[in-house]
Amino acid sequence: MLALLASGCGSKGERAQTGSPDSLVLGASMSLTGSLAREGLLTKEGYDLCQATVNAKGGVPIGDRKYRLDIRYQDDTSKPDTAGTLVDQFNDQGVKLILGPYGSATTEAAAAVVERNHQVMADSAGADDKIFEKGYTRTFAVLSPATRYAASIVKAIAELAQPRPKRIAFLSADDGFSKTVTAGGTAEAKAQGMEVVATEYFPNGASDVSASLTKVKSKQPDVIIGSVHLVEGVAIIKQAKELGITPAGGFGETVAPPTPDFVQTLGPIAENVLGSTQWTPQTSGEDDWFGTAADYVTAFKTKFGRVPEYHNAEATAACLTLVLGAQQAGTTDPDKIRDAVAGLNAASFFGPITFDPTGKNVAKPMAVIQIQHGKPVTVWPKSDAEAPLIWPGLS
Amino acid sequence: MSQFFQATIYGLLQGGLLALIAAGFSLVWGVMNVVNLAHGAFVLVGAYLAWELSRVGVDPFLGMLVAALALFAAGYAIQRLLVNLVVNAPVFITLLLTFGLELLLVNGLILLFSADYRSIRTSYASRSLVLAGDVRVPVGRLLAFAVAIGITLALVALVRRTRTGLAIMATGMDRGAARLMGIRARHVYALTFGIGAAIAGAAGAMVGTVDTFSPADAGRFTLFSFVVAVLGGLGNMYGALLGGLVLGLVEAWGSQYLPGTLVNAVAFAVLVAVLIVRPSGLIGRAHYAARVEV
Repeated sequence: MLALLASGCGSKGERAQTGSPDSLVLGASMSLTGSLAREGLLTKEGYDLCQATVNAKGGVPIGDRKYRLDIRYQDDTSKPDTAGTLVDQFNDQGVKLILGPYGSATTEAAAAVVERNHQVMADSAGADDKIFEKGYTRTFAVLSPATRYAASIVKAIAELAQPRPKRIAFLSADDGFSKTVTAGGTAEAKAQGMEVVATEYFPNGASDVSASLTKVKSKQPDVIIGSVHLVEGVAIIKQAKELGITPAGGFGETVAPPTPDFVQTLGPIAENVLGSTQWTPQTSGEDDWFGTAADYVTAFKTKFGRVPEYHNAEATAACLTLVLGAQQAGTTDPDKIRDAVAGLNAASFFGPITFDPTGKNVAKPMAVIQIQHGKPVTVWPKSDAEAPLIWPGLS
Repeated sequence: MSQFFQATIYGLLQGGLLALIAAGFSLVWGVMNVVNLAHGAFVLVGAYLAWELSRVGVDPFLGMLVAALALFAAGYAIQRLLVNLVVNAPVFITLLLTFGLELLLVNGLILLFSADYRSIRTSYASRSLVLAGDVRVPVGRLLAFAVAIGITLALVALVRRTRTGLAIMATGMDRGAARLMGIRARHVYALTFGIGAAIAGAAGAMVGTVDTFSPADAGRFTLFSFVVAVLGGLGNMYGALLGGLVLGLVEAWGSQYLPGTLVNAVAFAVLVAVLIVRPSGLIGRAHYAARVEV
């Protein structure tokens, strides 16, 4: 209670608290402007909710004292090199605990700096497996790795779709993350005995994917799976409609379909598109800070007036990881917190949080959603499903 | 073979859209020697205006006219009050000014509309006409293409047939002489900038109808405009159209027959090749290069 009084209340007090002995300072390099501004904002909202919730409960108990969370943001303008520089600057200011930026490229840049400076980073949105193949020991990702994104859609189709599709085509953006997603999906398709009839790449961020679609059309795939971000994902559905491309089964896309923009921009033609997501409000698991996924939705709605997206949830989960780490370490010493995070085995509103030696959260499954009546609905895994899969999925 | 036709048609339509985006940029650059880095942001303002109007039931092709008018007024004012201050300054200063304007507009749009992706939905834009061999012609893109051709022809008629248009060309060729003939250069410049912005606004409404947009796209639109303007050449009203069509076709054919990721490399290779052979673009006449500033 004394700590609370001492640290003041109200958001204006933030500056005064900076570096005060009773606050746990977390640094976040964030895409507040630039090409990833939208997702950056979602990530920031997730971090903000974590800070508000933890502080409302009195702060993080470390040893016999309670520390208020103090998250400091710097705008990396969606550029990886800036993200690296900012994380370095945090280190110069003595900020050793880092919350990850949005996206794989910025996270990869930040991870290298974190390693060198002996900081600790909770990665909320950098899913590219490459980040974890460099032997880093101080970056921990709460989200499922890139290889699972398309693979989970393939798995869901193999398990649920009747008739079972045989021919799959992949359309992929050419950034590292999307390529890894495609490789993971291809491997899964082969393991499920399906034939990959085409894999077409286009530039990351392309709003015209017509050439790739025309090339795929003649191969007559049963399912077209896009390893994409929102822009390319919307373009695939829009231009497939324009070009009269109608695979017998339908479309699946990573990342894009669960975001509200997908349905908003596409309208009725978004219907029945499959997508994979890191988190849904049906995810099972519970923790002391945020409760269940349903509790998280309620808390988020109260603060921001709308239902959270998975970007929000993964950000909060990353923040939660550092909170739990500090709690278990019983000290603010970054090396001890790193060790505690590495040994974490926790359930949470985001699903299980446990890291393998490379820092990937391999315990957490991904969910598959389908746009049904203008809303993303969980269809896989079966245990969390809200509705059966509609198949074939062409509207 | 039908794949080739499909690529060609789609490339031409896409090229028309690029030409529309670039037409205003090319006009302003050709006449005033101002490289307007805020052009992409103007396109976006047009897109958001048309989008807002579409939400209250206004068809984007009607919204396009409103966006064009609004941006004409804004463009006229920006030139008179802002760009005019530095129009004689070294090109770096105008670059800096328009870059600042772009930052202001883009971040203003993020504040107003958030960074979410938007698209203007119509019942007809994603329908398509089916030709022989299952080759499709998307209606929305076809209409946008028609708008691009229409605006180009209107620009040509303007600069060839009307006193205002002749004044614009005259000022572009030799400002000093134009002034001696009684042309109010300040007004003509503002008019040019206004027309450029108006076309950007119209382009925005079209882009919004056939594609998605968000404030972050401003830089991409400016880059397209730059490439198309340089490729087609300045000082000729057909320049942007030709540049756009060439770029659209090259991109469509390139990504059809080469790995899709090479599409940007192919487009820029063509640009470099054209510049080696024809330094002032395909059909450009760089008046201002030989112009004496007074």
